[in-house]
Amino acid sequence: MFDMIVSQAVNGLVLGFLYVLIAVGLSVIFGMLGIVNFAHGAFFAIGAYLALTLSREFGWAAALGAPIITGLIGVFVEVALIRRLYGQEPLLGLILTFALALFAEAILRLVFGAAPLPFSPPRVLSGFVEYGPILITKYRIAVLVVTVFALIAFWSFLRYTPFGRIIRAGSRDAEMVGLLGINLPIALSSVFGIGCLLAGLAGMLAGPLWTVNPSMAAGAIMPAFVIVTIGGLGSYAGAIIAGVLVGVVTSMTIQFHPDWSSAAMYILMAIILLVRPRGLFGEKWERFE
Amino acid sequence: MSSNSSRHAIKITRRALIGGAGGVVLASATASEFGMPYIRSAAASDPIKIGMIYAKTGAVADQAEYMAQGSLLALEARKNSLLGRQAEVIWLDEPTSQAAQQNAERLIGEHKVVGIVGGSLSPSALAISAVVKKAKLPFVAPNAGAIDLTGRLCNKYTFRLQPPADVHTRVLAPYCAGLGKKWYLITAAFAFGQDIKRSFTEFAAANGITIVGADEVPVNTADYSSFILKIRAAKPDVVVGGVPGSDISTFLKQWNELGMKGKIPFAEIAVGATDLWGVGPEAADGLFTLNWYHKNPNNPPEEQAMAASYEQKYKRPAADKAWMGWMAMNAMLDSIEAAKTTEPGAIVNALENWSVQRGGVKAGYRAFDHQMVNRLLVVGIKPKITDKWDYFDILAETPSTDREIETVFGSQAQSACKMDKL
Repeated sequence: MFDMIVSQAVNGLVLGFLYVLIAVGLSVIFGMLGIVNFAHGAFFAIGAYLALTLSREFGWAAALGAPIITGLIGVFVEVALIRRLYGQEPLLGLILTFALALFAEAILRLVFGAAPLPFSPPRVLSGFVEYGPILITKYRIAVLVVTVFALIAFWSFLRYTPFGRIIRAGSRDAEMVGLLGINLPIALSSVFGIGCLLAGLAGMLAGPLWTVNPSMAAGAIMPAFVIVTIGGLGSYAGAIIAGVLVGVVTSMTIQFHPDWSSAAMYILMAIILLVRPRGLFGEKWERFE
Repeated sequence: MSSNSSRHAIKITRRALIGGAGGVVLASATASEFGMPYIRSAAASDPIKIGMIYAKTGAVADQAEYMAQGSLLALEARKNSLLGRQAEVIWLDEPTSQAAQQNAERLIGEHKVVGIVGGSLSPSALAISAVVKKAKLPFVAPNAGAIDLTGRLCNKYTFRLQPPADVHTRVLAPYCAGLGKKWYLITAAFAFGQDIKRSFTEFAAANGITIVGADEVPVNTADYSSFILKIRAAKPDVVVGGVPGSDISTFLKQWNELGMKGKIPFAEIAVGATDLWGVGPEAADGLFTLNWYHKNPNNPPEEQAMAASYEQKYKRPAADKAWMGWMAMNAMLDSIEAAKTTEPGAIVNALENWSVQRGGVKAGYRAFDHQMVNRLLVVGIKPKITDKWDYFDILAETPSTDREIETVFGSQAQSACKMDKL
């Protein structure tokens, strides 16, 4: 039994990091822009489909372009639609992004069809590694490595680059940043684009693991919202810790009570919110209160 | 008013009023018979509407698309006409079972359909069945597999094509028993999955098979790796699956990813070809029951013609779901023609008498539960897949005799259906 617990814990860790990658983009968008992006799962699905298409046409290495293209699509969406929501009633953002999610799914269905499409990991990453009770595939190890690298890179970008400082300042006091002569709209578009890039990256990585179909967004967006809520809205560290926690709790629930596995993350969320209503690392943000 | 105006005003007496009303009634009756016959014939020439409820969005949209295409093809083959009148299909979505129920009510109340075909999943079909029972309208469910639909919850207006879980189990379980005596069940936590679990558990208990593990999995589970680790630790001889639609694609992909393909045999009932096409040739594996396969040389000529039409129109082979939609709609349309009316009771009677010859089996709906009796295919995955649409080797077609039919489909005494009256 101990072996199984260790095995499930490691598996949950890997699953959790994939959830983190999905959720951190959502958290960043909310934290920096104040927009609850219901269409975040749609960008995840777009990333998966782009990766599949590029890999079929040009080889698996070309699939690495999928997150970048997804990010650019995100920038376009922000300029065309999202920008009009800043400072408006939050409900408008929910309605618009929800409609965008439905629209994106319909477009994917129209272009690619409703049927699930086969998408395999690159051959060089096929196979698995066994170490005692731990069984993990090479591809999942690669997913873990890429996710950790992406998280560190993004954190470094926010912390150590001038543009990152602008973004962090803008999230606290957009008016002051504007008064200092900084072109905030460009910064905000970049943030939205980066959030969508992270979603697209998650989609690219998840495509060979899950099933690529137009409704795959639902499998991403719900865990993302739960993780962002548990971690605290707008908290980068919170999203990471919450994502890992959700992954491990889900795996453990599968081991002992599998029929409760889909409910486990919601029960966890309820418990944490009872103890800490803002989430684990949630902060008080004057502009939202 | 001046006295002059009152003198010239028309005085309406009671006699004049009654006489006028009677004249209007007489004129109307005469007009409908002789004076304006085009009014009656215009009503008679209103199109006959058939309702269709198939998912347009969501996880089963791909299967539903095939079913809808098959159903539409059945009407197109009749040049969109029935009983000498124009016929049309009204297709509404089924995102959830509640929405399916509401859309069934809309089809009946708003669109005045004469019958309904559809219900991609069991919960939707059960919901629609409750609506048609109340509205007294015929309904043919092509795909729902929950036992209750033609069992405990049967009614005079509901007909079902897909054999229920226990029928599929009687066909596949002996093959699983031949592979080993330790089974692991992984089934979906909804009506059909729970039926599969119950059926296989009953078979196992009756045949000395040990269930070494049984997990109920939420529908639309994205990651099965933790479940696969449990299965691996349990070391069964066979894994019996009961997960729906695209979930089976996800499961088999991850099954292969974790090196389980070929190590432990996998079997599942009532899969669709589209489920395996989505897995890909590398990961596809298992033993399955299937209702129909486009490459089966024993398909009757009409079905081969349907498959050819489908492929010409949609540029891809007809999946089994297309056949199911086509067959269900054909039953409805044939019955309307046979009844020579759109009166629901007459259509129901015609459906009960409807049948087609499929090889040695007369496929039709049993009167006592309205379950279609038909052949099933037992298929395995080809060792080497070279055609992206041809994954299966047909291992058996069963039942093929009346005796086998009763063994596989069960008798009236075994049925939980207490059929009501029209």
